[in-house]
Amino acid sequence: MTMTAAFGRRQLLAGGAALATLGTGRMAAAGAAGQCVLGVTQEAVNFNPLLYVNTGVETSVEYIVFDALWQIAPDGRFFPNLAAEIPTQANGGISADGRTWTIRLRRGVTWHDGTPFTAADVAFTLETILNPKVTVRSRNGHDHVAKFTTPDDGTIRIELRDDFAPYMVSWQKTSVIPRHILAGVPDINTAPFNTAPIGTGPFRFRERVAGSYIGFEPNPHYHLGAPKLTSLIQKYVPDQQTLYAQFQTGEVDIYDLQGIPPLLYSRASKLPGSRVLLSPSPFVEFIYFNCGKPQFSDKAVRKAIYMAIDRKGWIDAVYYGVPQPTLSYLPPNHWAYNRNLKDPGFDPRQAAAMLDAAGWRVAADGVRAKDGVRLAFTMSTTAGNKSREQAQQLVQQNLKKINVEMTIRNMPASVVWGDYTVKSEFDTLMVGWDPLLYPDPDYTDRIASSLIPARGGSGSNYVQYQNPEIDALCAKGTATIDQAERKQIYDRIQEILLDDLPFAPIFAYELVVGVKDRVHGYEVNPYTPINSWNTGTWSVS
Amino acid sequence: MLRYLGGRIGQSLLLLLGVSVIGFALMHLAPGGPLAVYTLNPTVTAQDIARVKHEFGLDQPVHVQYVKWAFGLLTGNWGYSFFGGRPVGGIVLERLPATLELMGSSLALALIIGIASGIVAAVRRNTVIDYATTTLAMLALSLPTFWFGLLGIYVFAQTLGWLPAGGMASTGGGGVPDRLRHLLLPMLVLGFVLVAQWSRYTRSAMLEILSQDYIRTAEAKGLRPMRVLLGHGLRAALVPLVTLAGLQLPLLVGGALVTETVFSWPGMGLLFVNALGTRDYPVLMAILMVGALVVVVGNLLADIAVAVIDPRIRLTHV
Repeated sequence: MTMTAAFGRRQLLAGGAALATLGTGRMAAAGAAGQCVLGVTQEAVNFNPLLYVNTGVETSVEYIVFDALWQIAPDGRFFPNLAAEIPTQANGGISADGRTWTIRLRRGVTWHDGTPFTAADVAFTLETILNPKVTVRSRNGHDHVAKFTTPDDGTIRIELRDDFAPYMVSWQKTSVIPRHILAGVPDINTAPFNTAPIGTGPFRFRERVAGSYIGFEPNPHYHLGAPKLTSLIQKYVPDQQTLYAQFQTGEVDIYDLQGIPPLLYSRASKLPGSRVLLSPSPFVEFIYFNCGKPQFSDKAVRKAIYMAIDRKGWIDAVYYGVPQPTLSYLPPNHWAYNRNLKDPGFDPRQAAAMLDAAGWRVAADGVRAKDGVRLAFTMSTTAGNKSREQAQQLVQQNLKKINVEMTIRNMPASVVWGDYTVKSEFDTLMVGWDPLLYPDPDYTDRIASSLIPARGGSGSNYVQYQNPEIDALCAKGTATIDQAERKQIYDRIQEILLDDLPFAPIFAYELVVGVKDRVHGYEVNPYTPINSWNTGTWSVS
Repeated sequence: MLRYLGGRIGQSLLLLLGVSVIGFALMHLAPGGPLAVYTLNPTVTAQDIARVKHEFGLDQPVHVQYVKWAFGLLTGNWGYSFFGGRPVGGIVLERLPATLELMGSSLALALIIGIASGIVAAVRRNTVIDYATTTLAMLALSLPTFWFGLLGIYVFAQTLGWLPAGGMASTGGGGVPDRLRHLLLPMLVLGFVLVAQWSRYTRSAMLEILSQDYIRTAEAKGLRPMRVLLGHGLRAALVPLVTLAGLQLPLLVGGALVTETVFSWPGMGLLFVNALGTRDYPVLMAILMVGALVVVVGNLLADIAVAVIDPRIRLTHV
């Protein structure tokens, strides 16, 4: 017995010593001079800017390696990148009828392999997007293109089939791919280029270590100025808690997507040597009403429900006060957000009175009903989303007070967002969505009466909303180029939507982003899905 | 022996076929699918989704898709990842070494510590050591792996700062000591449950054998206690333990899924969890088949080993 006990103790001591020796190498690689590590919780696997599906982490690689014709700044203004200037009607870039776009390109730009960039690359990008054999995730509005030509190496001329003002955003969201590399490839969907990309961007792709990180090195010939970092790493850490730990220990310099969990917000803001920023996102949390169901065909019901829900309590209790309340499908910081919208407020008593007035009387079972229709419905979202489940319970309690019965019916993501949503089979959904061609304020796809999939339409008007005035305003909005004029149109759309409430806007998501103090030049951009839009100007001290 | 071996290999092949059919069917018949990723993305229109569906071949009947996939598997063409656009074989194989490193080291740890502590507990039964090992083992068996992993990160990375909080090496490489530092926590977490199992099984197997007459005979002959314990005791206890090794493989593969996710260990488990989220069928099926192959071959080897150790088993099959 003494033998084994002594052995055990020795073993323990040896173990401790081993741990101590291993400990001395702490943070050897983290904080390396000139290197910045960007931490994300999802893995980027496809680096072809036209093919990837994982918006955010794969957009980040796109921004780092590739360029679009123009970019969008945090204040919402476009600035030229591969284009020499932003086309306008004033400078002749856009024709008077808005349908012919003549874009002059920047000269002297080269691909990472040294080949010059020309208009042929832009034309090839457009061809690839329109090629039915290529699984591009989205045509990003390029399906409005009728034809295009390259009058010379430095110009591309595009003619649109119809009025489409959001086309400006189409080219902000479309990175140009190299013709000389991809033109001869038998199948772009499976080209080696997709995991070893060559772009014109501030950084060159250096290496990808599967399941770990992607390494980039600076492009000294970058046309907007050589980057200051000597190395940029996008590191993949799947677990949010683990990523937080790595941010704390300095193994990661920036904690970007999916953001620090709101639960850790106050703790993170006290971490020494780092700062915490709120990064606005285009995603707005809604309650989606299926207007095709008898309970929700009555506008009074939708408005009463909106008024009976304690939205502030929802934001504070479930999301620790991080997201911004919004009354529109746009986040409140968007240039087109209607600042004159009037909040109906949280008023259960008036909500009940509205339902009484509309003929929804409390029946013997304690639930309101009208003409044999009970004011009872299900609410669905992704099963296992803890925050949403808490919010659902809150809403359920709120509605019980005005004698409305809500049942929670959650399903796995691939089920609830499949036919159940697309074919409008739901009663209500709790969902966070962004506009089709964000940051353009156009919302036709979700509100035009001709775009209801359940009625044979091809859009995503899942709430089955129909309003001729909205249809006319949407058409006018996409036909108007001038931003001030467009603002008025979208102000009116938001006003009507808040009155009709086919969906109830609750809040705009904000990500809690952590940045080490040694990182400079990192700037939150509300118009991009991840904040690596300006890595060329980042530096570390 | 050869007939026994032939029979077991035949069974294993049938099992793999069954796994592939059931796995493929479950994956495709479950509601939703890889296109849900596109539905969630508002910038993708219904026409875009229909086009992508056709390009992926998902508009064909499930049995046609299965036959195409199975034929491809046999001819070495494992298909392309829906979202990575790369051949699946390469995607899975580049993750295999990381998983083998983690699983192998955890298993080795479990064997050494588990068997040793089991023997000690059996020899010193009903003493403080026995109770302590039993308590520790029960604790390990009842702790969820992810919780234990997070606790490890909290204590050793966040609070004490001794070990890195996940990953397989420091970004940009790192030498052998760096890799060992990264391996330590995940190995302990994954190995902990296995250690507990080995310890419990070894203890009960040894207890049973130590009360046998031939052990008393060996002791009476005056053999050294170590010789009795290892030469006569442990050797006889090996048969159930080798079977246990085979049975532990699924546990190890399953535990790797969780451990790899918590520690961002770039192995097949992490890849599987990701592919599951996006329903990347070709990747999922490839990992499922590799996992099934590891388990089936492991059990086959365990059965053969048992037959070699224990003549009674192979004799009944001759």
